[in-house]
Amino acid sequence: MAKVLNGITVVELADRRNQMVGKIMSDAGARVIQVEPVTGSPGRWTGPFVNDVEDPDKCLDYWWFNTGKESVALDITRPPGRDALRRLLATADVFVESTKPGTLAALGLDYDTIGARNPKLIYASLTDFGPDGPWAHLEMNDQAHLALGGQMGVSGYSDPHEHPMGGHGRQAYNMASVMMTHSITVALWDRMATNLGQFIDVSIHDCCAICTERSVSYWLWYNQANVRQTGQHAGPAYGLPIQVQAADGRYMNARFNFTQGQWPGMVKWMTELGVVGDLAEEKYNDAKLRAAEAVPGGTVEVAVSKLLSMVPAQEAFERAQSIGLTWGVIRSPEENLEMHHFEERGFWRQIEQPEIGKSIPYPRGFWKSDGLDVSPDGRAPHLGEHTKAILREVEYDDAEIEAMTTTGVAR
Amino acid sequence: MSIAPQGMTRGPLNGIRIIDLTWKAVGPWSARMLTPYGAEVIHVEPPHEPDDHRWDARRGQGITMTDHQVAHTEPGAVPSIPYYTAPYYSQIHNGKHAVSINTRHPEGKRLFEELVKVSDGLTENFSARVLDNWGLGWERLHELNERLVYLSTSGFGHAGELSHYRTYGPIVQAESGLTFVSGLPGREPAGWGYSHMDICGGWIGGLGFLLALLQAKQTGQGTYVDYAVTEGAMSLLGTYFLDFQANGRPTRRKGFPPGNHSEWPAVAPHNTYRTAGIDRQGQDWWVFIACETQEQWEALVTEMGKPELLSDPRFVTMKDRVANQDVLDEIISTWTAPRRRFDIMTRLQDVGVIAAVVETAEDRVEYDPQLRHRELYPLIQHPEVGEFAYEAFPPKLSRTPPDNSLRGPAVHEHDDYVFGQILGLSERERSDLRAEGVI
Repeated sequence: MAKVLNGITVVELADRRNQMVGKIMSDAGARVIQVEPVTGSPGRWTGPFVNDVEDPDKCLDYWWFNTGKESVALDITRPPGRDALRRLLATADVFVESTKPGTLAALGLDYDTIGARNPKLIYASLTDFGPDGPWAHLEMNDQAHLALGGQMGVSGYSDPHEHPMGGHGRQAYNMASVMMTHSITVALWDRMATNLGQFIDVSIHDCCAICTERSVSYWLWYNQANVRQTGQHAGPAYGLPIQVQAADGRYMNARFNFTQGQWPGMVKWMTELGVVGDLAEEKYNDAKLRAAEAVPGGTVEVAVSKLLSMVPAQEAFERAQSIGLTWGVIRSPEENLEMHHFEERGFWRQIEQPEIGKSIPYPRGFWKSDGLDVSPDGRAPHLGEHTKAILREVEYDDAEIEAMTTTGVAR
Repeated sequence: MSIAPQGMTRGPLNGIRIIDLTWKAVGPWSARMLTPYGAEVIHVEPPHEPDDHRWDARRGQGITMTDHQVAHTEPGAVPSIPYYTAPYYSQIHNGKHAVSINTRHPEGKRLFEELVKVSDGLTENFSARVLDNWGLGWERLHELNERLVYLSTSGFGHAGELSHYRTYGPIVQAESGLTFVSGLPGREPAGWGYSHMDICGGWIGGLGFLLALLQAKQTGQGTYVDYAVTEGAMSLLGTYFLDFQANGRPTRRKGFPPGNHSEWPAVAPHNTYRTAGIDRQGQDWWVFIACETQEQWEALVTEMGKPELLSDPRFVTMKDRVANQDVLDEIISTWTAPRRRFDIMTRLQDVGVIAAVVETAEDRVEYDPQLRHRELYPLIQHPEVGEFAYEAFPPKLSRTPPDNSLRGPAVHEHDDYVFGQILGLSERERSDLRAEGVI
């Protein structure tokens, strides 16, 4: 099946920040040429590595974020490498870069220069703070963005003296990469009518700052500050705990306030397990009384906690959902490999990995669709795997390529 | 009330018309990301039950959000306060048109089908079977309009054995693994203190919708995108799946999750450190500090006035520092504890060390110089609310910038435009439909 970005060529200047942009575009059918330093993209050196042995071709984080791309290893700080990148950009549709402001201008690779030669080029600059401003040159990483952008400020534990928490998996970069890929798609749409590219500036800090749901609105409109609460939304005041341990030690996300429709099923379940106490009495048909007893130590809280201490998480999940409760299990990621539901939805894509002599299942990606296929077709490239072939495409002859590799400009 | 028209934004998506049946938070983003670029998004609400996100505290009127939530969730409760367009609604339904249609009424369904015929996309985030129950499942929609793109957003998707399971943001995060990978080692998961997958997850839906619309523009054929937000979240955790497959290493293991320490790359220091002061809620203030290079480590040690750490055998190499990071954290905490958080950030950044204050919403809105420079909180006007600041749509495109002057629509503000101009109903016909409760 044809993919939506078939025919689009993306040149991606390798970096940890932007690699998700190229991955989504590659999974959507674009040809993504990653230009990386001859020592390898920073993304190749983060780990985890296969068998924990450092090897730029066996970095699993790199594997994930670079499916289907091609690798050209070039030292663009030296003139011949820079010239090769210029040739690639002369015919590219999209350029994705994440360098510090001013870096590419100093190399003559800024939008004004490159865009003048290829007016159709969409030049996508994904940076920590945008091209200018008082903080534009700060040193950041993914977790630093979650701190500065507000995610940590509302995430963590109910103890006011405990560390705020940031999530893992490059979530600041992921947020900004989704926003950038959306922007690039808008620019591609525009280009269909105008035949013109443009410059796109997406700041990771901006994206994080607007991605905290109600936190900013609480402050902007009600002057309310939030407290962090274990496993749930931060809010102006502490609420009832919703993270509860089940019989097998796994945690569940379970709210203990029950609607009129849910309550009979709950009473039945508690009766079966012998924990119902006086909760079957008619007076508990009053939602207000139930809510008053859902506090720590209240009759509802005690009984439901006891019930959960008798039932394994998966069983509790299924039973709770069957009576209309919006409860879930706090699963480790890999536990989802066992979930029939995702198998049934075709969520796993086998990708051949010769480095380990087998294929392994990759997440398909965000969307299930018979018509829109955005999923990985192949593995991440080895360092410099496509250097020669791509340099030939931009009309370097073998002698020139040889000279570039022997001088360390290309690999 | 006289309400100024909106939706006249010029942009690359002019001519694209979307029917938006979304509510809550994750769904609305998918269409909200199109309006700044000129798409015409028609947000459809039931006539007698507008979106609950219209409910919100009104500034200065002593009405709390709790009052609204109680009024709204009690079965059969009649709201005592008229619906209006709360500021947050302008955030997630920005730039949309609003109409009300009773799709359960035969005439309402017919009107809705007429709208489908002249639209490019439809998006909703109801439970899995709602549109099917209306008789408006994908097959019917495709029959009505083969160009139509249909994006459904739900926790577990519309196919599969869990498709009827109930979710909201935190459940999606819990089920996917996103909650599990955040927290201190040996403690219960910390998760995310907001519905991350309603916002980031909404953006992902918006991206899928736009890609599908682009494909329909190219091919003339619409498509159905079944977006399960749980799968969206799992697709943000790929490395953990690969580590499990290639190395057999589960995340459910001792010492995981690593708090704010970094495993990939394995670098130290890399943590949040307590500083002087507490916030308005009595919570400690924190600064995040990390050294990913030897130069940063040397600069940190110099700033702390502890050059002896450079030759301390516990901290000589990065590997040493990672192995002894708990001790190192204590040393750094002792230095940060009496100091002011922004001073620490500025001082360390001046010498090239990664340092970032754990900013609150107040910090970002009031004091963050970069966000001010980027104009992230512009003022917009709403006829019901007046002038207020909101969170802008942040990308900056040089030729087709997003329009950040738009606002959320009032309840059925655009009935006349949509039913009159688009569907061609006369004023008399609209009046009759209104009397019958169809619109």
